[in-house]
Amino acid sequence: MTITDKRKSLEACTESGWDAFDLMTGEPLSDEDIEELKCMEGSFLYMKQLKKPFFKVENHDYVIKGVKGDSFFRFAVHKDKVSLVDELMERFG
Amino acid sequence: MIYLNNAATSYPKPDIVKKTFEEALELLPSGQFRSAGVSDNSDVFSLCRKRLGALLGIADVNRIFFSSGSTDSLNSIIYGLKLKADEVITTVTEHNSVLRPLFNLPGVKGKPVLLPCDKNGYVDPETFEKEAKQGKAKAFILNHCSNVTGAVQDARDLGEIAKRYGMLFIIDASQSAGCLEVMTDKWQADAVAFTGHKSLMGVQGTGGFYVRRGLSFIPLRFGGTGLDSSRILYEDGEYEYEAGTQNAPGIAALSAGVNWILEREIREIEDKERKLTEKLIEGLSDIKGVHVIGQEIKGIRGPVVSFYSDMLPPSDLAYILQNSFGIVTRAGLHCAPLIHEYIGSGDKGTLRVSFSPFNTYEDVDEFIKAMREIS
Repeated sequence: MTITDKRKSLEACTESGWDAFDLMTGEPLSDEDIEELKCMEGSFLYMKQLKKPFFKVENHDYVIKGVKGDSFFRFAVHKDKVSLVDELMERFG
Repeated sequence: MIYLNNAATSYPKPDIVKKTFEEALELLPSGQFRSAGVSDNSDVFSLCRKRLGALLGIADVNRIFFSSGSTDSLNSIIYGLKLKADEVITTVTEHNSVLRPLFNLPGVKGKPVLLPCDKNGYVDPETFEKEAKQGKAKAFILNHCSNVTGAVQDARDLGEIAKRYGMLFIIDASQSAGCLEVMTDKWQADAVAFTGHKSLMGVQGTGGFYVRRGLSFIPLRFGGTGLDSSRILYEDGEYEYEAGTQNAPGIAALSAGVNWILEREIREIEDKERKLTEKLIEGLSDIKGVHVIGQEIKGIRGPVVSFYSDMLPPSDLAYILQNSFGIVTRAGLHCAPLIHEYIGSGDKGTLRVSFSPFNTYEDVDEFIKAMREIS
């Protein structure tokens, strides 16, 4: 998986005041991509039973969430940890 | 895509609203009181005021002023009536368009008295009367219909209490104008704020407010108005409240939206939306771990349903609904941060579903089906 772009989320309000970004992947997210994201630190939720499965990685600094098949996922991060976005982009850039 | 976020902005708009908006862009630009560009004396501004007066129970329609929406209106009202926060009683159900002006406007110091609400979002008139009796407050600001729970306050009774204690009575009708009965004059309201882009079926960036004649009321903004350009200094009481070029295409669309409602009658709209909310609440009550707020609301209610789930926070539910099922809702605090402590939804807020007359029972079925699959 390659992250090609980051966009400030239009739905920041829903993420409880955290900074939220939508990270573009260029290609639809596959199970392998989700497995890669699972390696990020935090609890992992994968709702495979949904027609378009939802995944989430969460710890006290950030939440990563997305839907299999979409070409983007959400990265919501505590205001003090915004640098993690660039670290994530570097890792998957 | 199923759109269930009408309490934020209604969608779709009636065909006549779209047609009127488009036509207004094709016509010669009309400025209020100046360069009308028309010779038939048609006046979109006056017509819209007349229609708003009919819908909102306002006889003195020349005291209706256009704005960019409720936030603009409430800032104008709070600033213009020179309200000091510590002389205001309001409620924990209020939107930030009331709370933030009260807490932040320049020159506005102190804190308002915040009346609590019950778990459904209702404010108790007796609690209000106890506060009013203390005689400190000069104004009461009331959110007529909660954008979180749909609870509709008894504006007539609360207005009577406000008047009994000599207070100004200000109504925020953002969530009720266009879908519930609003009776400004009958309820003795001194000021009412409304927005165009929700149930009034207009476009974003339109709205307005009413302020009763005879009150000392200063404009939030000054500028060109098209009337008596030679006057620079106003005497108190002679102010004008619509400075700058008005949003004529938006007001034309708002006028068409209001007329669309008047043609149907508010009770017809209210009835349809109530049936949709009842069906939704019934469907949600069968889903394990889902807590619907405002289940005990009886009779009149706004077309919104809020809930939270034991399984996922509202923001995740909204994300899944939108990206996996194509259903648009709204998650979070809904710009009404204080109510959540009282209704049990905490700092994550709720998932909110809100209807317009264009929603169908099939939309509700799809939503329930999606929630069952997620849960």
